[in-house]
Amino acid sequence: MPGPFACLIWFVCMLCEAAVVVCALKKRAFRRYLLLNLYMGGAVLSELGRFKILSEYGFNSRQYQYFYFYSDAVLTIFLYFALIALYSHVFSEMKAERYVKMGALLLLGGTAAFTGAVVLQSSAKLVTHFVVDLSQNLYFVGLVLTYVLWGAILKLRETRTRLIQLVLSLGVYFSLFAANYAIRNLYPPLSSVFVPLIQVFGLFLPLAWAYAFWRLPEEARLVPARLAVIPR
Amino acid sequence: MSRKLAVVFLAMLVLVAAMGLKTIVTAHGDGSVIMANGGAPAPPTPYKNGGAPAPPTPYKNGGAPAPPTPY
Repeated sequence: MPGPFACLIWFVCMLCEAAVVVCALKKRAFRRYLLLNLYMGGAVLSELGRFKILSEYGFNSRQYQYFYFYSDAVLTIFLYFALIALYSHVFSEMKAERYVKMGALLLLGGTAAFTGAVVLQSSAKLVTHFVVDLSQNLYFVGLVLTYVLWGAILKLRETRTRLIQLVLSLGVYFSLFAANYAIRNLYPPLSSVFVPLIQVFGLFLPLAWAYAFWRLPEEARLVPARLAVIPR
Repeated sequence: MSRKLAVVFLAMLVLVAAMGLKTIVTAHGDGSVIMANGGAPAPPTPYKNGGAPAPPTPYKNGGAPAPPTPY
C-alpha cells in the first residue's frame, strides 16, 4: 500500500475530478462540454476501481498493474475525444466540425496503426504492450494537438474565457508531465523529488477545469490586446 | 476534395510531430512510461518481467565497435 501522502493526494484528486462534474452540472455546462465531463466521470470511476483493486490485491499485484494500465488507455482515449470536442468548439463558427471529426478519426487510426506496427516487432504480451504504447503515443498526440489548438485560438482571436481556460489548463497539464519525465531522465538523482510530483500534477487539470466551470460564466469574454484604443 | 486532403495531411503531420517528440523525450529515458490520468500511484509496466537490468542485444558478438556498413 502506498504511503499516507500518496493516499491523501489520490483521495483529493478523486474529489477534484468529481467536483468538475458537479460544477458543470450546477452551472448547466454538462451537455455543452459533454466529452470533458465524461472524461472526468470516467476518471472518478477508474480511480474507485483502482482503489478497490489496490486494497484487495496490493500495489505490486498483477491485477493492479493490468487494471491501472488498461484503464489509463481508456482514459487517454476519452481525453483525446475531449480535446477534439474543444477543437469543435473553437472551429464551430467556421462550420468545420465535419473536417475536425474526420481528422480526429484519421489521427486516432494512424496512431493505433503506428503503435501496432511498432509493437509487432516485440515478441511477448502483444496486447498489453499495445495498450500501454497506444496510451503513451496518444498522450504525445494530445500534447501536440493542444499546442496546435492554442495556436489556432491565438490566430482566430478567440475571446471565450472559459474555453481558453479549458484549453490552456490542458496544455499546462500535458507539459507538466513531459517536463517532469525529461528532468527525471536528465538528472536521475532528482528522481526521488520528481516521481512523487507526478501524483501532485494529477490535481492540476481537475482543479483548473472545476475553476473554469464554477467561476467563469459561458458569456465571459477576454478583451483582445490588439483592439485597445490608442489615443491620437 | 482539397479540404479533405488538407485534413489528411494535417493529421499525418501531427502524428509525425507527436512521434518525433516522443522519440526525443524518451530516447534517453529509463523505460518508464508517462502516465497522465488521475492521482493513483503508478505501478511498474506489466510487460517487464522482473526488475533485472536488460542485457545487451544477443546479436552483438563481442564489444568491438561496429564498422561502417560495407555497401
